[in-house]
Amino acid sequence: MTTSTMKMKRSRPTSTRRRKRGQLALTLFLQAVLLLIVLLPFFWMLSVSLKPASEPFAIPARLWPENPTLVNYQTAFYPEFRRYFFNSTLVSLATMAISISVGLLAAYSFSRFRVRGFKVLLVAIILAQMFPVATMIIPIYKIMRRFSLLDTYPALILAYITITLPVAIWMLLGFIGNIPKELEESALVEGATRLQAFWRIAVPLARPGIAATAVWIAVVTWQEFIFALAFTSSREMRTVSVGISDFIGQYGIRYGELMASSVMVSLPIMVVFFFLQRQFVAGLTAGASKG
Amino acid sequence: MTTQSLATKHRQPRKARGLGSGRGLALLFVAPSVLLVGLLMYTPMVQAFIESLHATAFLSPQPEFVGLEHYRNMLRDDTFWRVVRNSVTWTLAVVLFQNLLGLASAVLLNQNLPGQGVVRTLVLLPWVLPGVVTALLWRFMYDPQLGLVNSLLLSSGLINSATGWLAEPNTAMAAVILAAVWKGFPFSMVIFLAALQGVDEQQLEAAQLDGANPWQRFIHVTIPSMSAIIRLNLLLTTIFTFNYFDMIWVTTRGGPLDSTHIFPTEIFELGFGQGRFGEAAAYGIVSVLLLAAFAILYLRELTQDA
Repeated sequence: MTTSTMKMKRSRPTSTRRRKRGQLALTLFLQAVLLLIVLLPFFWMLSVSLKPASEPFAIPARLWPENPTLVNYQTAFYPEFRRYFFNSTLVSLATMAISISVGLLAAYSFSRFRVRGFKVLLVAIILAQMFPVATMIIPIYKIMRRFSLLDTYPALILAYITITLPVAIWMLLGFIGNIPKELEESALVEGATRLQAFWRIAVPLARPGIAATAVWIAVVTWQEFIFALAFTSSREMRTVSVGISDFIGQYGIRYGELMASSVMVSLPIMVVFFFLQRQFVAGLTAGASKG
Repeated sequence: MTTQSLATKHRQPRKARGLGSGRGLALLFVAPSVLLVGLLMYTPMVQAFIESLHATAFLSPQPEFVGLEHYRNMLRDDTFWRVVRNSVTWTLAVVLFQNLLGLASAVLLNQNLPGQGVVRTLVLLPWVLPGVVTALLWRFMYDPQLGLVNSLLLSSGLINSATGWLAEPNTAMAAVILAAVWKGFPFSMVIFLAALQGVDEQQLEAAQLDGANPWQRFIHVTIPSMSAIIRLNLLLTTIFTFNYFDMIWVTTRGGPLDSTHIFPTEIFELGFGQGRFGEAAAYGIVSVLLLAAFAILYLRELTQDA
């Protein structure tokens, strides 16, 4: 068997090379097709956002505007929209701070302490990660209403914690579990307290994991939609993912401005993706059950 | 690295000398998380069940106990069965195509060619785009008069007249599925790419020496060695897609004629659109039951060694 294939290879070297070249050409062609499918909608979004109102949409559509302009961006960046950006940033950062600090303590404790019942607690937390948001949203809405929190930042932050905290605990647990315990143990021998061992040794070593978790939380909360839609009623409290629909009117959609604001809303996440790609991919694959 | 973080199995120490003691501190550390998860997640879950046994309306805000009536009515309601059918179609189709396309593009991009890193990064972009933006973009792509889809199809002669892809009950579901696959396949690709890099080269070479052609090598060596990741990926994407709200809500709101209503959108519509909280909660509980099997399997994958 082996010898025969070897003989075949030797007897037809040119055809093998030709086949290799054919394979390469096919690979490159398919890659180009894939890129086209992926990038065409992006190109279209950018193109329409740069199209002046004087260039009407027509079929067949022009792929690139004749006189590109930033006027749609100027119109889209109106005061309310700036407010949406502010709200989203604030809610994202607050959710991140709470989830990381609270989650880090829990993850550390689950990883380092042997306490009866911890395993059950941990499974309960991971199980909660799979509760469908749509099932929880009405009861959470009623809780917020009872405490008069609807249409406030705390309502959104607490709601977002239900998405981020269980995943954050799970992710951080993975990272802390990979830090060798010996460093903390020798610190204890040398007279450090448990808190010092946690704060001075474990936390600094867990930094890459904390970064990946933080990136994931930022990305997920920035685009969160269903809670923001249900829990905010005034324009002052809207986040970008809800406010972006301002350009969808009852009688039509102002696509130029809509695409311009879409680009602006996507930009922060794109920037994070391009500059922190490793943390981005690590975080978003670990938190995949929540998007 | 990505597969590792996806499938991280947490090993707990057999013996924890010194570090393992300190019950008070241990409980203090987990208390905030346990409180938050308990109050914000377990309480609502229990309340959702209680709610599903009550009838409420905007007119009579005082909930009235009705037992299992919502569930009985639901099983006799055509809308419910349409939502079940839509949810199954939507989840199956998106999961299947997203993972097939993800696997194919992972194989396609798993090459030692110059510039592959850039290509991979670019292919990831739909996954990076925020959900609502993606949905708005595709709503625009499908616009009958102004959208790119009709523009391309008309000018290439594939269709003769403008079609409202999202406005026709026959095509709306396929249209939202396509958009969701476009958005989701890069995620599957990332996971599969990482798994492909872990496939044993020696096994592949041995198979080649035995005369296996590339397809046979792929089916008999590559796929089996990726099977754990494929299973995990299917579970994850199933759970995620079943609960996926943004895409359908922004593009069709479940319409036209309920042809794209799935569980999350129907729950939102019943609850916040019509104030029928009890019925919405019953839908919510059913969706939990439908997902339970997948959730338990996923939980087992995650905690196997813990």
